[in-house]
Amino acid sequence: MKILVTAKRVEDPESKIKVKPDGTGIVLEGLKYKINPFDEIAVEEALRLVAKFPGEVVVASVGGKEVQEQLRHALAMGATRAVWVNHTGPLDQMGIAALLQKVAEKEKPDLVILGKQSIDDDQNQIGQYLAEWLGWAQATFASKVESFESDAEKNKVPALTVSADVKTVRVVREVDGGLATVECQLPAVVTADLRLNMPRYASLPGIMKAKSKPIEELTPVGLGVDVTPKLTVTKMMAPPARKAGIKVPDVATLVQKLKTEAKVL
Amino acid sequence: MAEKKTQSFMRSLCMGEIEEDILLPFPKVSPTDRELLKGVLGSIDSLLKPHAKDFRAWDRAGEFPPGFVDELRQFGLFSLVIPESYGGMGMGSTAYSRTLQEIARYDGSVAVTVGAHSSIGMRGLLLFGTDEQKRRFMPRLATGELIAAFCLTEAGAGSDAAAIKTNAVRDGDDWVLNGEKLWITNGGMAGFFTVFAKTGAAGERGHMTTFIVTRDLKGVSTGPHEDKLGLRASSTTTVTFEDVRVPAANVLGEVGKGFKVAMKILNSGRTGLGGGCVGAMKELIALSAKQAKERVQFGQPVSSFGLVKQKLGHMVVECYATEAAVSVVAGLIDQGYEDYQVEAAISKVFASECLWRTADEALQIAAGNGYMCDFPYERKLRDARINRIFEGTNEILRLFIALTAMNDVGGQLKELANSLQGVFNDPIKGFGVLSEYALKRASLATGIKRAKGAFTKLPPSLAPQAALFEEATKDLATAADRILRKHGKNIIGKQFATKRLADIMTDLFVMACVLSRVASSIKDKGERGAAKELEIAQVFSGQARRRVKTHLSKIDDNDDELIKSLADHAFERDGYAWDTL
Ligand SMILES: Cc1cc2nc3c(=O)[nH]c(=O)nc-3n(C[C@H](O)[C@H](O)[C@H](O)COP(=O)(O)OP(=O)(O)OC[C@H]3O[C@@H](n4cnc5c(N)ncnc54)[C@H](O)[C@@H]3O)c2cc1C
Repeated sequence: MKILVTAKRVEDPESKIKVKPDGTGIVLEGLKYKINPFDEIAVEEALRLVAKFPGEVVVASVGGKEVQEQLRHALAMGATRAVWVNHTGPLDQMGIAALLQKVAEKEKPDLVILGKQSIDDDQNQIGQYLAEWLGWAQATFASKVESFESDAEKNKVPALTVSADVKTVRVVREVDGGLATVECQLPAVVTADLRLNMPRYASLPGIMKAKSKPIEELTPVGLGVDVTPKLTVTKMMAPPARKAGIKVPDVATLVQKLKTEAKVL
Repeated sequence: MAEKKTQSFMRSLCMGEIEEDILLPFPKVSPTDRELLKGVLGSIDSLLKPHAKDFRAWDRAGEFPPGFVDELRQFGLFSLVIPESYGGMGMGSTAYSRTLQEIARYDGSVAVTVGAHSSIGMRGLLLFGTDEQKRRFMPRLATGELIAAFCLTEAGAGSDAAAIKTNAVRDGDDWVLNGEKLWITNGGMAGFFTVFAKTGAAGERGHMTTFIVTRDLKGVSTGPHEDKLGLRASSTTTVTFEDVRVPAANVLGEVGKGFKVAMKILNSGRTGLGGGCVGAMKELIALSAKQAKERVQFGQPVSSFGLVKQKLGHMVVECYATEAAVSVVAGLIDQGYEDYQVEAAISKVFASECLWRTADEALQIAAGNGYMCDFPYERKLRDARINRIFEGTNEILRLFIALTAMNDVGGQLKELANSLQGVFNDPIKGFGVLSEYALKRASLATGIKRAKGAFTKLPPSLAPQAALFEEATKDLATAADRILRKHGKNIIGKQFATKRLADIMTDLFVMACVLSRVASSIKDKGERGAAKELEIAQVFSGQARRRVKTHLSKIDDNDDELIKSLADHAFERDGYAWDTL
């Protein structure tokens, strides 16, 4: 089975993010980066599936030279090879989805797994665009019934169930109010939610092996995609700081304040 | 590795010469290594972060569960310094030291388990092993199937390593090994022991040989896990050898050269310990910053009080200085310098003492909370303490640092003395030597420019600090010279004076490392980008300069003899003699 996964480079959620005073973006100095955690979950799921249905996991990323770091991370986790779409400068969701569409058409995977969103600007759109433009089935927010402590997770049972003939995939989706199970024809696009699996870490031998795994370089021009953004960011602002709360002496006062001050009752 | 480089910055400095090219530019990790290292550090975080809560429990229990050691093995943490050709990461000193730093942020016991394996346990094989020996053991050491331990200390031989009693006698193709080693890190789980044993005639001191001993050999046994102050989860045991037949093929290095082997191993492994100290300091600084901002007293966070800021500020300066010194030593090793033992010893002493102060002050900032086991401070304090004791106590290392310098200066003085004698036989030659020495002393005293008497490659913004360094260098030469003249051959017995010299040398080396580091930051980020680092350079240089001055003044004006006599008084009485009753 051949699976295409993504590895976006995002700001490490543990670094302190500050908006530039002029609102044109965030302060990049001193920031650390990592692979989008949802993409890491996607890589993990792909590796588990390929362990069952031998084949390859191809990892793709769009960005400048620095995204090779995230590609290497996925390779160190166990992905087979990488595709790097070399592009610096602004990009919007549609640009990225169009590039990934070309990569998918070129690679012809049985399945594409992406993170449901990336934690930098939380757009949650690429998977949906990609499935639509490829004309493939889609199952977003793939999740799992079992908890991480369950035997199934400990035994690393894949949460996406692929039929024995590799024609369909059954996906448990996390939706408002519960879980929904859908079955898709392959090839399909799946996006990974937080509770899908616990990604493995890249072991040191894995990191050494990744050094010699190939990273293929592509460009938007080479792929024939015009990535001029249709969406421009005009201004960034930090949310206003929360005001300090107050302590109320008793329930009666609380109800009173909710009625008169907060006006929610 | 670069061509052979034989000079030592500190040994040159003790002769009054600033060999700035040894320390400038500040060593940098190559871009490829940096990318690899970033991957490694990120992975270590994902390995250790989920265990953050376990470390306290394992400290209490006094051991790691076997499953965790397996996890370390599978992760590859025992492969750090093993060459790639044997399945390892092939890390040089810089990368290795940085990696131990990351591990030590989480837990001292994990750091020392990995460190004892890589810094000392298997380093003898790395430095002195034959290809055949490496082929036999390296692959299994890399996977952690064999964990390594370094076995030197015995009940009667701690600092005085030459006093070991464990002995090996040649018998046919084997050596028969007998003896007991004490406090061996990783003892309980090691499969590979680097063992030092006497191989000389009875009563002959110091003739020892290094052996590779594996646990499967008959007669090797280890004692129970020691109950300790800190590093409680790391394994420390006795290792006993009872008529163990060690094949001659397992001799490491030359027969009879074991003492040298031991010293080379310890020297070469020091940046591991230093890296560990830096990691622990960084973690303590992060904890303290958070703690001080959250704790409110007198209506404000305690971080707003000057005395709390004073602690945190010093912690930052000492951490930066330690990181600079450890990086420079690692850089020297990686660049192929051969004579770095004085610098390595200084970095160990400095790192372990800065960490101790940092752990102590961090606990003080957290105060009552700091004293409680629910907070990490007390454990970090206990774990920090060992660094001043093992891999050579700081006392022994100070003697080593200063005596090496005095040996050099003494050599020069001897040359002078010899030629003074010769003055009567060969006045012209004698006069030449004399005037050269007199010139040097005069230039020291007057500050007349000498070759290599100053830094020339530091940026102008560091000129005031460079000037302080140059002044202090003159003080160092004066101190060495004066101490030697005062005590002559008796210097060995004058440990107070020796320690003073070692402390002057320590301040100078660390200051030079700080200047080198800040200079390269200025070059990379400009003066504005490196503004905070410039402040660190100002603080450290000022402090160092003042300490050096104090030490210098104490060479002639001190209470050494009184202090000694009071100690002797207590020794005679087995304790303190007074009471107010
Ligand atoms: C947790 C732990 C792990 C260890 N791991 C290992 C290991 O893996 N392998 C190994 O071989 N050893 C190991 N050791 C032993 C360690 O290296 C020794 O404890 C250390 O070398 C000091 O020896 P000692 O404790 O016998 O002190 P001693 O040598 O008895 O010293 C006692 C005191 O006298 C001072 N002193 C001694 N001689 C002089 C002198 N000439 N001048 C001035 N002062 C002096 C010392 O500095 C010290 O303060 C470990 C120890 C501990 C506690």
